[in-house]
Amino acid sequence: MILVLEKSNIPKLLEILSRKYSVINYQKNEIALSPKGYLLPPKEKLFSYSFKRKKIIDSPKLKKKLLLFGLDLIDIEAVDQLDEIMTKPKEDYFYLRKRKNTIIIGVAEHSISVPIAAGDLILEKINENEYRAISLTENGEKIVKNKFFKKEKNPEILTYPEEKNGLRGLVKDSELLAEAVAWSWSKNHPIWDRLEKICLGCGICTYVCPLCYCFSAEDELELDGSAGHRCRYWDACTLNNFSKIAGGKNFRPSLKNRYYNWFYHKFVRAYKEYGKSQCVGCGRCQKYCPAEIDIEKVLLEIIKDYKNEKSLSASIS
Amino acid sequence: MKNLYQPQSVKIEKIEALSPSVRLLRLKKRLNFVPGQFVLAGLWGYGEAPFGPASSPYQKQYFDLIIRKGGTISSAFHSLKKGDEITIRGPYGNGFPLDFFKGKDVVMVSGGCGIPPIASLIEYFIKNRKNFGRLYLAYGAITPDDILIKNRVSRWQKFGVEVILTVDNPTPGWRGHTGFVTELMGEIKVNPLDAVAVMCGPGPMAAAMEKKLKPLGFTDRRIFVSEERKMQCGIGKCQHCATGEKYVCLDGPVFNYDEIDKNWD
Repeated sequence: MILVLEKSNIPKLLEILSRKYSVINYQKNEIALSPKGYLLPPKEKLFSYSFKRKKIIDSPKLKKKLLLFGLDLIDIEAVDQLDEIMTKPKEDYFYLRKRKNTIIIGVAEHSISVPIAAGDLILEKINENEYRAISLTENGEKIVKNKFFKKEKNPEILTYPEEKNGLRGLVKDSELLAEAVAWSWSKNHPIWDRLEKICLGCGICTYVCPLCYCFSAEDELELDGSAGHRCRYWDACTLNNFSKIAGGKNFRPSLKNRYYNWFYHKFVRAYKEYGKSQCVGCGRCQKYCPAEIDIEKVLLEIIKDYKNEKSLSASIS
Repeated sequence: MKNLYQPQSVKIEKIEALSPSVRLLRLKKRLNFVPGQFVLAGLWGYGEAPFGPASSPYQKQYFDLIIRKGGTISSAFHSLKKGDEITIRGPYGNGFPLDFFKGKDVVMVSGGCGIPPIASLIEYFIKNRKNFGRLYLAYGAITPDDILIKNRVSRWQKFGVEVILTVDNPTPGWRGHTGFVTELMGEIKVNPLDAVAVMCGPGPMAAAMEKKLKPLGFTDRRIFVSEERKMQCGIGKCQHCATGEKYVCLDGPVFNYDEIDKNWD
């Protein structure tokens, strides 16, 4: 028996779910905000302090559970990596609190070939009208009890290949990327000078990235001075003040330093910390870059030159 | 789940002006820390910044922060008075490897506002004086007025810490040295094979000191540097303090020289 959901029933299912959860539908419209935006919001209040009562005001309880519907498997993989980053080596309370309050329903418009990293329920396309429901958690089990999910003996099961995605293929070889990216800087590869000239240093690549998680903290005051809020907001390592300290010293003064640091973190430091690239190949950074920097092409060029030099030095010795 | 970002309120017990632009805040709270670790101190409405405690780790009644007027937060700290409250979280970071220092001579080098963790380390040495060999502190400041340890020198000397002071711009009556701390190495008599060097100060100072220490026989693993970076979280998330593959907040702030000197940034 296979648990099946008819495509035409999705809107009705979402309507029922939205009574209990606040639903964000990734299928409905093009959302630039990656799932990161709901778990690590662009700006959030961490603590509020009452100057009158001289104490921290308890933060309001989280409202309805959040339900992210229609994430593709690439974004789900990103959430899984973010979960790991926010748990190890130390726990980020505010991320994990939101994460525990979130249900994820993934929709795969292709046949699933690899095990799924995270999420509560996955809907896998099996024919033009139906999805197979794969529940992965207790929350997922609860949702498939809904009347729109039906058990079928012999539904038509077709194979839909995954869309070709060069970047996604590239980031799978995280070991090669870690070596090649570090090599490119140590050899003063001209690509970094070239990118410094093109990059506007706007930080949009980091904002749309589902895996860029750096942040800054800042306090805010109520206009009447009654309370202060300790807030955190997205920062971007490509912005000028990212590594600047009081007194004016800037540890990464040039855009070249900062742009390389973005790559270094994703492909070198992340590999050393977690054994994988902090890139899932979603392609948002290339889509939204105002300077049209194509990170896939950048990586391909670096890898090509790295391999050439390696084979050259191998043939000499 | 513990909230590692949760700050605590602490009361300012005493304020002391150490120089025209530097103040010591004595905070009424017992802080369990290892010299070299840091706390994130904050003021509601202004935010948080990292500081290394300067007091003895054995002190049960209070701990001291030394704050130079520089950025938004440190300037706000300068406007406070006795009895006001600030927030604290931490301590964070690794601290100095005290066990490794045991039985060895220690050469401490510091400049300007790099003194707090070194001052705390000296208090630890004094309490355990017989466990350590010769102790030197070479400390440099811009003018005699900028020397932040004026009222500690004689006590430290009494407990067998050789303190050598130098300034860039001497004033009439200055009896110490003139010039960079690097020029004080001639005054220091230690056996490099049985000694460690500990540095906390401006980046160029550490680099210049390394060039003096290496020829004397100090190896990378015997040179310890306390690093300064921008910090927002203190727990390895926010990315501001990353240097190469290390995080200053988690892996440091105290590093062996060879852990960081080849970092690309």
